[in-house]
Amino acid sequence: MANLSDERWKEPRGQESAPPEGLARIGRKPQTITMDESSNPYFRIISKDVREYHFIVPSEEWVELGEIVSIHDRRAERGATFLARITDLRHDSNYDGNWDTVIRGDGFYDTDQIFHRVVAEPLGCITKEAGGRERFRKSRTIPAKFSPVTKAEKEEFRFLADVMGDIEVGRLRNGSRDVKEIPVALHSDAMDHHMGVFATTGMGKSNFMKVFAASCMKMASAKKSKFGLLIVDPHGEYIFGAEGTKGLLHLDRYRDGIVCYSTDKRHQIDPSVSELSVKRSEILPQDIEVLYDWTPAQREALEAVSRVFYGEGWLDDLLTPEGAARMIAEGFHEKTVGRIGRTIRTILDKNRYISDLTSSIPGIINNLLEGKVVLVDIPTLGERSELFLLSLLSRSILDRYKKESAEGARGKRCLITVEEAQRVLGGGEGSLARFESIAREGRKFGVGLCAITQQPKLIDKQLLSQFNTFVILGLADRNDRTRLEESAKQDLSSLDVEIQTLEKGEAIISTLKIPFPVPARVHLYEEYLDRLNGEGSAEKRGDRRGFNPPPD
Amino acid sequence: MKIVHMADSHLGFSAYGRVDRWGRNLREEMIYEGFKETVDRIIELQPDAVVHAGDVFHHVRPRIRPLYVFQQNLERLVEADIPVVIISGNHDAPKSYAALSPFTLFEGMEGVHIAHHYRYEPFEVGETTFHSIPFCLGPEDYLAEFRKMQERRAERSGGRDVLVMHGLVEALWERRLRTVGEHQLKESFLKSDFSYIALGHYHGQAQVAKNGWYSGSVEYFRFNEAKDEKGILLVDLDSEEVRQIPVVDKYMIDLDPVDCTGLSSRQVEGLIRSVCDDLGLKEKIVRLRLSEISREAYRSLSRRLLGELRGEALHLDIVPQFSDETALRETEPMESRDLPQEFRKFIEGEAAGEAIPAAIRDGVLAYGTGLLARISEKRAAERFDAAQ
Repeated sequence: MANLSDERWKEPRGQESAPPEGLARIGRKPQTITMDESSNPYFRIISKDVREYHFIVPSEEWVELGEIVSIHDRRAERGATFLARITDLRHDSNYDGNWDTVIRGDGFYDTDQIFHRVVAEPLGCITKEAGGRERFRKSRTIPAKFSPVTKAEKEEFRFLADVMGDIEVGRLRNGSRDVKEIPVALHSDAMDHHMGVFATTGMGKSNFMKVFAASCMKMASAKKSKFGLLIVDPHGEYIFGAEGTKGLLHLDRYRDGIVCYSTDKRHQIDPSVSELSVKRSEILPQDIEVLYDWTPAQREALEAVSRVFYGEGWLDDLLTPEGAARMIAEGFHEKTVGRIGRTIRTILDKNRYISDLTSSIPGIINNLLEGKVVLVDIPTLGERSELFLLSLLSRSILDRYKKESAEGARGKRCLITVEEAQRVLGGGEGSLARFESIAREGRKFGVGLCAITQQPKLIDKQLLSQFNTFVILGLADRNDRTRLEESAKQDLSSLDVEIQTLEKGEAIISTLKIPFPVPARVHLYEEYLDRLNGEGSAEKRGDRRGFNPPPD
Repeated sequence: MKIVHMADSHLGFSAYGRVDRWGRNLREEMIYEGFKETVDRIIELQPDAVVHAGDVFHHVRPRIRPLYVFQQNLERLVEADIPVVIISGNHDAPKSYAALSPFTLFEGMEGVHIAHHYRYEPFEVGETTFHSIPFCLGPEDYLAEFRKMQERRAERSGGRDVLVMHGLVEALWERRLRTVGEHQLKESFLKSDFSYIALGHYHGQAQVAKNGWYSGSVEYFRFNEAKDEKGILLVDLDSEEVRQIPVVDKYMIDLDPVDCTGLSSRQVEGLIRSVCDDLGLKEKIVRLRLSEISREAYRSLSRRLLGELRGEALHLDIVPQFSDETALRETEPMESRDLPQEFRKFIEGEAAGEAIPAAIRDGVLAYGTGLLARISEKRAAERFDAAQ
């Protein structure tokens, strides 16, 4: 082998021949970054591809998963800023093997050669258009190598304010830091595309729903609401709060944006709370059918009820001996008819809000059509009664919206909230066909679902794929996260670790019209309440154009 | 305890321009007469109290005649030892704190309790408390007054509670009268723990809750009330029985439309004559719609015949629905707060039919909505500024 250091190979000084073509650049000094204040290897893009950016930071630097960084690329004429979200952090060093952690003497070997490698997922890039307007779009390139990286600040997020919706739920969060200037708000227009709220216990589902409902109340009060929101609350926590928290009726400033119905006598004392009632004549055999496991014979008998009994009095007619005899005469077994009768009696007994005279349902639907928040507070009812009521309400709402839609009426759309949604959207035996049909075709008529659950893994995959807005407040179970990743309209796969590490009140929100899943800190309801109550003071009596009530 | 529940007397209402030989408006006199008959009936029934749930007078500033009629009949009730509870309604309450209510004249009468100060007032009659919430200036004020009442109720126990209010409950909002100051009463006010809820404003008799009724008016005021049941209610608070008691005979008739397709004027006259003869027009207020009538036939109808018939009736309204135009839609006056929504619907409809190009639709909508808002604000300011 030739010894390249042999002097004979060297050309005389000053007579060096030009290197062959193509090899010219080899002789050029490689680009290096020296560690001084103006130029150092940290916070500069060093790799990797269009799906993943890498840069390094000093070991002492505090960076967090989920943090969004901005990368300033000066190649383009007006400059471009890439945004990327940190998805992984690793220990790394300039050595192979374990040299960086080998102990020499009484200290680690070359501690100044170790650092953290940061892996970030590209979100997109902001370019300046003619006229100085900023535009965010998905990036089809990578930032120039060694482009400087900084933690994104409010200026970089300003474009987000333009793409946010009208229902404020929190503030933008960058890692653990809040970007107070950028509110996170959902789009009303996306609400009939269904929304899912996913979180394990204690992560702030109720707080989120109260904040969401409060923003809806504000919109309804200002007559700007684009949809009505129905909340059926089996725990009685939304109306006046529970365990030191406040409720929706504490939002005095926008109280005209909510209508409440309750089965709880204590809550009914409030002037804003109506007593819930449902007319017997509004109950149809199919409302009973969805509640229990029936044998084929019993199901057949239930389906025949509307044929055997005419009109609205079927419920009472069926319970009479004559009614039972008519069913038996139709060929149904006495035991079958007896089981149906007993079930109906149980329902009537357990649901004391069922009356002969009055019904809250027309009022509920009218208020939804007006775009108000309708809260149905049923803390005194059991789970089956809750499902019965929810099913009855959903059927009535869907029927009315179908009718309105056929007649070309233009009422507001509606979002039906379903707590513990896995009970009714699980697919197969345990689910309720009614909710599944709303999930599948409700959008045609302006009816959407807001499914709240701790276990998205139990929700049917196809149904979940109909949901366009995901609010994820922390899920420990890998299967839950996988189910969401499979069904989301935006790519959530890189957020797996972040979702796992979300703290109470932190959320990832993936929705239409906002270009990437947004990290958010949901407002604490009580703080949001204070803020809303303090907004533009309502005109008080006596303030009206200077007139005051006369003295007594 | 038995109470009589009545409302919406509208003393001072007049219409149709028919006068008696002394020059008094016949319609107005009918209403005074009906009020007197109502008091006669009450005195016969001897209830423990009478509740009038608003709109005693038709006007905020009633003339002397209705004031006098009211005073005379009120005194008859007092002499009969029947306590009276009255609230002001949207017709007889001034729309400003600055003006005096006509009820100021009747304050201090023994056995007469009147709530007309835009605030909740409880009146005790025996062991029953009449929680009276009169007309309030703003629709949002009712909530505050209701809350005051609930606080008072929470402080005391025992005895019966009767709620008295004036306004239209949400369930009947589709039948609103679209009059000034017409307020919606929340469904949530109809609490089941009241012994009875006496409501006024809606002119038909209607049960709106297990314990809540509109007594309706004794008289008929509009043709859309022609099918309503009218009268007063006798309420037994012990047995919870409510009895509907008619006072005057039905005198307003809104006849089904008569089909005049292809008929000549003579044939239509024959039809009109026959319908009116069967009905008997004397002292009645009648509306007769002629559907699908040709313009020629309508123009050629005998003026003499129509004059004769109109002379027989207290009022005869013959309404043509011409065959060459789409059915006439009866339009009610719009409320200003409904206008933006109505305007939006109109623009969207026009845009859907491509009468308005899509490119300028939003601009037109925004400009028009802004204009409406400015006009409404100006009108509201003018109304407040107007002398009472």
